[in-house]
Amino acid sequence: MKRPTDYNIELEQIDKDISELEDSVITIPIDIEKATKFVYRLYHRASLTGNFAGFKVAETAMNNVMRQVGPWADLCLLKANLDFKFHRLANAKHDLAMVPGLADCFQGKALQADLDLQEGRYEDARKGYEGVIQDNRTWDNLVRLAYLKAKMGDVDGAEQLYIEAEDEITAKEMRSYAWVELQRGLLDVSHGCYESAWAHYKRANEAYSGYWLSDEHIAELLGAQGKFDEAVALYEEVIARVPRPELQQALGDLYVFIGKSDQAQPWHEKALAAYLESVQRGDVHYFHHLADFYADVRENGAEAVRWARKDLALRQNFSTQAALAWGLYRDGQFTMALDAMQKALSSGVRDAELFFQAAMIHLAVGRNDEGKEFLQKAAEINPHYQDFHIHR
Amino acid sequence: MADHNDPNAVNSIFSDIDVSAADLYDLFGFPSDDTTGGEKVVIALTFASVPETGVFDTDMLYRIQITAHPRVALPSKDDHSLEAMLKYFDAVKDKYLGELKASEVRVTVDQAHRAKVDFINFPGGSFSTVVDTNKVLTIETPGGHSIKAFLGGRDDAFFNDLPGFFRSINYAPQFYHVPHTMTEVRELKIPKTLLELEGNDLFNFDPENPKLGQGVKKDLPPGPLTWNGNKFLKDENGNFRFVYSGKDAQAGKNVNAIILEIPLGFITESTEVNRIVNTWGESWVLKAAHKVESIPDHPLWLEHPWVLLDAIKLDEEMKKYKLVDTVGQPFADAGLSEREDNRQLGANNFRLAPHFIKRLAHLGWGFGPSISALGLHTSFDHDNSPVSVHKTYALATEAFPRVKKTLFQELNMPDDTWNKKGLDIPLRRPFEIFIPNACAIDMDTTGTWPFGRRLEDQVATRFLSLFLDMEAEFNGKKYTIETLNDQSLWDQAPIIPKTPPNPLKNDKEFLDHFPYLADPW
Repeated sequence: MKRPTDYNIELEQIDKDISELEDSVITIPIDIEKATKFVYRLYHRASLTGNFAGFKVAETAMNNVMRQVGPWADLCLLKANLDFKFHRLANAKHDLAMVPGLADCFQGKALQADLDLQEGRYEDARKGYEGVIQDNRTWDNLVRLAYLKAKMGDVDGAEQLYIEAEDEITAKEMRSYAWVELQRGLLDVSHGCYESAWAHYKRANEAYSGYWLSDEHIAELLGAQGKFDEAVALYEEVIARVPRPELQQALGDLYVFIGKSDQAQPWHEKALAAYLESVQRGDVHYFHHLADFYADVRENGAEAVRWARKDLALRQNFSTQAALAWGLYRDGQFTMALDAMQKALSSGVRDAELFFQAAMIHLAVGRNDEGKEFLQKAAEINPHYQDFHIHR
Repeated sequence: MADHNDPNAVNSIFSDIDVSAADLYDLFGFPSDDTTGGEKVVIALTFASVPETGVFDTDMLYRIQITAHPRVALPSKDDHSLEAMLKYFDAVKDKYLGELKASEVRVTVDQAHRAKVDFINFPGGSFSTVVDTNKVLTIETPGGHSIKAFLGGRDDAFFNDLPGFFRSINYAPQFYHVPHTMTEVRELKIPKTLLELEGNDLFNFDPENPKLGQGVKKDLPPGPLTWNGNKFLKDENGNFRFVYSGKDAQAGKNVNAIILEIPLGFITESTEVNRIVNTWGESWVLKAAHKVESIPDHPLWLEHPWVLLDAIKLDEEMKKYKLVDTVGQPFADAGLSEREDNRQLGANNFRLAPHFIKRLAHLGWGFGPSISALGLHTSFDHDNSPVSVHKTYALATEAFPRVKKTLFQELNMPDDTWNKKGLDIPLRRPFEIFIPNACAIDMDTTGTWPFGRRLEDQVATRFLSLFLDMEAEFNGKKYTIETLNDQSLWDQAPIIPKTPPNPLKNDKEFLDHFPYLADPW
């Protein structure tokens, strides 16, 4: 008999926990510790499976419990994380403020630093991460700082922090270890180092088998390496398990990249429909994807700008500023694009994709020397920046 | 980008960690009563029975460190200064970290429930063997010694009223649902106490909810989570109410254990000189990176049940693990270190000396007045406070005068049976017991606490006796470490229930032969 994967074993355990705990939220009086665990398990399940409907279930359960017991600190923190995950940053801040002292606990401080990063306060974010690491040196806090360092171009610093983070992770947290390996792989991919990225992805798979997230990363890498058939096959397999629209778009993008636009179309249609459905439900976390989609798939600058502005209204950071710049560029508004791009560049972020877009915009406004310089910089960071990649 | 750098998507937001095999419970150590073939020392490390009783977690590595040396020269009995004490700690530290390189027993267990036991840096060298779990075994060493070993499930040999202890320190998570994120709402800012405080509704016994704190929890009421009273609670008959019940909260529970009976001659070549055997335990968990690399079966171990070890390779082995928990002295963790992760230093806890002094003073302000209210004499200087006080210290120098006597007084023993050879062995004093955090077994004694730790020792109550003034008398005899275990004291005291704080014996009879701990439930 085939041995179940680590992913399936964990999922089975979560389902067992959920089944055992679900009475806790309907029995009056509510046992708040059990109810919190139940809600957390729902959230955990949704995170593990990448299932957005699952997050809705978790959120509904969370709100129901909080209606009955009031602002319980652990639930408020969970709610803050959920809101943060879905780009509802104002809500996340409100959640943290619901319980006095919550923002000052280790997890609250880490989330506050995440919020700083999302809202473009990079120095505050750095200080926040460093402070929380000093007080609570956990792998997840080390990884947070590593991500910021990587974005700011300190690759060695980021890699060192990733290594230190992995050293904190025990055999009881193999999924976390796999996740950090994926981050290290992504760092390599963003610098064109495919062989070492492959080693990290392989290691992630060995550490925690059956994880769709690892497969999704591997599919992208296969595409970057020009192994298109394998990449397509793996994407299709992952999408069959986890039909997230950004994965559908990635497969469509891959088909376009290899010149199979006809085959790309249904995937792009599916992705767009799902993005828009999400927006109709009142969600905001796909604004960024919509901006990218309209800019690069449809090359519809006006629509790209529309979604980018919505996203920017929620969070002002290099990523949302660059998305607006790229949308304006697609829309032919080059001067405004340059203005938005300069804001993104002022963040200090060093990223091949960002520099490539900056180059295009500078060239479009006639700043040829600067344009060439940005192309040079993009190539320095990632000599293969024009290979297949997805926007994360 | 919020989607893509979110460790919380994979990490538990809460430190909502279930009971772990890394959670060490107790370390027992005493000279074996069986001296056939020479002196032997019994060492038992107990820990959570996870994944189940008798089954060891294969990601864990347990270490028992052992070092033998002569009795350390103590500071003069008359020099009760902070400076003298710190100088003593420095001297002991140099000894521990320098010349006394500890030997160790290292245990890992594989999927087939076979244990690899390494004996490292003993005078006769190092060797390794693979043995069955849950069996009494005799391991023959290359030098011709016989070591008895048992690795498996046993009854939990600890017997105490844990809820009573938590009530005494106003530890909210035992009684209330406390969010994981609210670490400041654990030990509430209410005086520690042995007697219930009038108006301390958060922690006083509630006859309407008698099981509160014993598996039953309430929702944490809205603040302020403090106490504003000024006296101990008394009933209509003038009796205080004890925070302890004397009931065994560990009854019916099992542990996993590593139990060894080791010839002293295997531990030290100078058995006549090195009469103190120090031992402490550690739990280590495999790092994720090395689980990926792990090789399921190593043919060497299967083909050669015991082999000589390569020291360099062993050090490499430890790099694959992460230290989680340590145990040496009972209550050095729970009572004095507050179980903080960054205070899990094992024997090398010398830097915690100032913290211990402050913590002891904090506890003294709670327990000292409680003892005085019962008409007993306390070693803690609380300025005759009529009630327990919540007081913390920023500086050890400020706390030290209060706890000077508590730290330096000799702990009287109830009779002379502990000194089985009638030698001139000084009584132990608290400052030397807790630092270093090791079980110091005096081979010329029975090994009863604080000269080691025997299974039958009621150490939780003996810990409280630190706060008794050992110069005072009860029924014409000086106080001893057993005074609070004396039922007649409680019969006379104005208190209910009339019981020693903790049970006087274990829920299961200990065995009179190896492995000594009772069979599991």
